[in-house]
Amino acid sequence: MTDGLGALTTIFTEFYYWITVVLMFLIHVGFCMYEVGASRYKHHQHTLMKNTLLIPLVTVTWFFFGWWIYWAFPTGPGLAPSIMNESAALITDESLFSAKWYVATSNLMAVNLGDHISGVFWAAFLLFSWTAASIVSGAIIERITTFAFGILAIAIGSVFWTIDAAWGWHFDGWMLKLLGYHDAYASGVIHAIAGGFALGVLAVLGPRIGKFSSSGEPRNIGPRNPWLVTIGLFLIYTGFWGFYAACNIPIFDLGPEYGMEGTTFFTATSIYVTPTTLSGITFNFLMSLSGGLLAGYWVSKGDPFWTYSGGLAGIITASAGNDLYHPLQAMLIASVGTYIAYKMHYWVERRFKIDDAVGAVAVHGYAGVVGLIICGFVLWGYPSSGYSVGSMWVGTDYAPINPLGMFIGAIIMFGVLGFLPGWILAKILHGAGKLRIPREVEIAGLDYNIMESARKDERTVG
Amino acid sequence: MASVTNWIEHLTTDVDAATEGVQVADIYPMVGTEWMWLTVAIVFWLWFHVSTGAGEAEEQQKLARKRPGANDYKKNITEW
Repeated sequence: MTDGLGALTTIFTEFYYWITVVLMFLIHVGFCMYEVGASRYKHHQHTLMKNTLLIPLVTVTWFFFGWWIYWAFPTGPGLAPSIMNESAALITDESLFSAKWYVATSNLMAVNLGDHISGVFWAAFLLFSWTAASIVSGAIIERITTFAFGILAIAIGSVFWTIDAAWGWHFDGWMLKLLGYHDAYASGVIHAIAGGFALGVLAVLGPRIGKFSSSGEPRNIGPRNPWLVTIGLFLIYTGFWGFYAACNIPIFDLGPEYGMEGTTFFTATSIYVTPTTLSGITFNFLMSLSGGLLAGYWVSKGDPFWTYSGGLAGIITASAGNDLYHPLQAMLIASVGTYIAYKMHYWVERRFKIDDAVGAVAVHGYAGVVGLIICGFVLWGYPSSGYSVGSMWVGTDYAPINPLGMFIGAIIMFGVLGFLPGWILAKILHGAGKLRIPREVEIAGLDYNIMESARKDERTVG
Repeated sequence: MASVTNWIEHLTTDVDAATEGVQVADIYPMVGTEWMWLTVAIVFWLWFHVSTGAGEAEEQQKLARKRPGANDYKKNITEW
């Protein structure tokens, strides 16, 4: 950082990501409000505490090993050679982007005058981790132990989503190279995997007491506080905007990187270093939000809960390709994803007796999968990564975006790294008797002791 | 303990960054003891899970034995 332009670029980038972290914190605030609004009175405080504890549990483990996994696992390992050292092993060598620099004892993981950006990137990805864990949190309210949720939050937030990010987001990720996987704003990398993980846990955890009648008919346990749910979802929308910003590189000179001799071309890029504009993604974010809201309102016949959730599902569906879609494409794709997510939610609920308390599997999981599949068709033939062109890494081919690759990618995200680990971990916790709270506690309410104690205090004070 | 005792001296040290790297770029205290801090942090982290997990189970077992009804919590809603 010795010349003026270099210093400006570095400090601007540092500040840009730092701001996105602050904005993304609103996602978690929104999830907390949303979950408390959706839970019943006698479970409120435990619901909030469960989602609050996610912050330290995921943050600490993200520092211990999560960030290291992201930098170590792009090759699989064993699935595709790295473009840095041509080895398919874990990337732990001396190269510039090696995981070696991101172990918890590294001097780059601290105040270091030689590195102005690592901590900010670390935090931006950490906020993605919180989001992944929060998505799971909502689905399983009112009957899971805080202990079990903590273990599951660490698993999805600091292990499994990190692996999928290494595979499908990292510039060296094998899914980019072999499948042509492209997921600019994380339809799959965050949402499909978290939705799949939640479904795996729910399959073992079982429904809330009273959710299904003795004949198996699902009953509606609607949100207790629609206003809290509304504000929560609006905060999630707001934070999601910060998330979009965090998925970009805000200022990048593509000229020399793409091998364009003598050309300077500064632009924002996606996480794959493919060109986009903040203007374009602003169009697309708002049009996909609108498409989702319209479809949610229509398909649910004006149900507020599903209308707001539809907005979120819409953004999630369009996110995989929102770096390149036309705004009208974004809107229509969002509408389709929201419609399918809504229908799938009720079909799975009836068919498999799955009690997803906030529709998280549908809004994040099914919408994410649909978004990936649609992206494979609409962006068919586009380069999946900026590293497949020009002079960045000469001689290395990346598959272009294609329907089959995106379909396989969706299965990996939702099924292999989402559903399967969630189901296995939940089985282990269930086998150890640690997964679900006792039936009597669920009936009485998780907050019973807290409320009883508060009532005693009130009587004492008078 | 201190990795830096004089900022001016530290920041103006004449080194060739290309060959010698940035002079004491890591400026947090007790550089070199990171493994010790990590070990303590991991022990604390494990203890937290064991301790809170056991506490939660114990509290819930106690409540389960009392068997409050589904609407008993309403008696405990405070007015303040």
